[in-house]
Amino acid sequence: MSFPSLTNSSSQSGSGLFPTLIFVQGNEQRTLNLDRSPFTVGRKVDKDLVIADPRVSRDHAAIVSEIGQFSVVDQGSKHGTFVNGERVERKVLERNDRLEFGIRDTSYVIFHPYHPSSNTARDFLSQISGIHISTETTDLEKLTLFLEAARKLNTSGVLDEILVTVLDVTLTLTRAERAFIFLKSEDGTLRLAAGRNAKGEPLLDDKTISHSILEDALKSNSEFMITDTSQSLDLSGRQSIVAFDLRTVICIPLRKPQVQATRGAQAAPSDEAMGVLYLDSRFASRDITSVSNDILRAIATEAASLVENARLVQAEEEARRYQQELSIAASIQQGLMAVTIPEVPFARMDGKNLSCKEIGGDFFDAVSTDHGLAVVLADVSGKGVSAALLASTLQGMIYSQLSAGMGLTDIVSAVNRFFTHKHIGEKYATLVIARLGRDGELEYVNCGHVPPLLVCNNEVIRPSHGNLPVGLLADASYSSDRAVLHPGDKLLLVTDGVTEAENAVGDFFDNERLEQVAAKGGALTDVFTAIADFCGGTPLSDDCTVVEMVYTGGSRTD
Amino acid sequence: MSLKLDTRVVDGVTVVSGQGRIVFGEESTALRGTLKDLLTSTRQIVLNLSGVSYIDSGGLGMLVGAYSSARSAGADIKLAGLGQRLRDVLQITKLVTVFEVYDSEAQAIAAYRRTV
Repeated sequence: MSFPSLTNSSSQSGSGLFPTLIFVQGNEQRTLNLDRSPFTVGRKVDKDLVIADPRVSRDHAAIVSEIGQFSVVDQGSKHGTFVNGERVERKVLERNDRLEFGIRDTSYVIFHPYHPSSNTARDFLSQISGIHISTETTDLEKLTLFLEAARKLNTSGVLDEILVTVLDVTLTLTRAERAFIFLKSEDGTLRLAAGRNAKGEPLLDDKTISHSILEDALKSNSEFMITDTSQSLDLSGRQSIVAFDLRTVICIPLRKPQVQATRGAQAAPSDEAMGVLYLDSRFASRDITSVSNDILRAIATEAASLVENARLVQAEEEARRYQQELSIAASIQQGLMAVTIPEVPFARMDGKNLSCKEIGGDFFDAVSTDHGLAVVLADVSGKGVSAALLASTLQGMIYSQLSAGMGLTDIVSAVNRFFTHKHIGEKYATLVIARLGRDGELEYVNCGHVPPLLVCNNEVIRPSHGNLPVGLLADASYSSDRAVLHPGDKLLLVTDGVTEAENAVGDFFDNERLEQVAAKGGALTDVFTAIADFCGGTPLSDDCTVVEMVYTGGSRTD
Repeated sequence: MSLKLDTRVVDGVTVVSGQGRIVFGEESTALRGTLKDLLTSTRQIVLNLSGVSYIDSGGLGMLVGAYSSARSAGADIKLAGLGQRLRDVLQITKLVTVFEVYDSEAQAIAAYRRTV
């Protein structure tokens, strides 16, 4: 038996379960799966591929699947359907064909292209074919070699890719006519994952397969099940076998590799099966009952470990994507934190945030209102995406209520009601909202936050005023405090990342050092310099945010 | 894990002593689990925090959560033996107005005795 697919690079057949269409429009491109027949193209919105261009007819064309081939059929379009530049009514498609629907310049479709850059199973195998498999090698050895190679293939690692490769190898080795892989979905039912015939054509339809045989194989403890319909007497309920004139059906349950490892000891529990590899051939064709048991056993083991590996690779890919989502979330968070500080004639404000690596729950915001310049500094408990989500919600609520001119205690009460009412677990926030009026009157409300620093003439005051954090207790009540600022007086707000910044021996930066810097009348950068000097090389474990608001008196000094 | 928990019963009051740090993650999860289990069988708990050097915002949230569910179940958690840092945290967050805080474990246990 020869092993053609080893050296024959992906020229014959599709590499995935479904052929793909690459739809290119201007600078954008999209990959579509040709997973139905007919696959319709046109300007109407119910088309599988909608091209919104007046040169495309409403019902422009369709791509139909016929006996393993795909053809494009023009549906009487006004501006025509073109394959590789030639106007066609109907044409069988070859891989890499360029299809144009009415539009001849900006938009086209490539039928099932090769991926020269992607490391498909076949490409990979063709690369390693330099190894030269000796002709004396037995089929089984070839199989092992092949699968070893394929197992190392986790660059493209797409499950479909692996499944199709497994099917092709299996078809070559067993000389069966058709092969399918069914994988167990989350609800425990078997779903068709890939199908191929001996010609290497994709099979998308499992209607001609006896599902009861599949279920039996899944439940059975044996390594494979051969049903020879010429021998078997009880075919009731297996109409598909009769209807499709099937001679031999082989079902190989795919069990997780670790279960396979204990082969021979005791039968694997059926719930460990990931799916079933199904092979059949018809009466009219050759008999496959004589396939060597060794080969079937090898396929059962290797196919299962391949599928499992492919799944792991897929899971990794998903984890990578999730990681990407997280970094997008982090950048959204950074965007929200980018505060445009309002300019007012009577005060100036500045804020700085030094983030630790993780997404944090710190934020600050500034709003100019009729009642004065308002500033919010908040720290949501915990870290990560959940803290960032809560921070964004909090920021939105407070921003809108400040803009609407609501009183500070009303705002924090509303926020507290909202968060305790929503039962978001043990998440809460500490925050300070301060509002400085044109006349120097400062009102502020502290909810469990590091007390603000009032710096008047190089003297630092730490007011004892405070409330419970927001989001912890539903019946908390809140009060605010007031002070009158004179020109030059400053309000400094920090998060506990500042006071709890640690040095190498585990000491905290703490309030005393903070007050010393503040008393020197230092700017924001001086505070950060002091923190950096203190910490030495010890990385921050929490976000540090510092906001200062200086009353300048502006036009109305008393 | 940087928190060790020890549970014993003194005069009918369940005392949970912690050693280490109560921080967001497995530490606060462990303490939450311990308190939750105890609340199925006892109504009087004293949390001895004299061995706890640090509590972060996540740990604090857990503590308030456990306290709230204890109260709604008709039980109570009193705190005892807080170091200066923990006192500061409870002061800043005004949670000192929520929890009953005692200097020593014996005082906290005695407080339960008085209410009986």
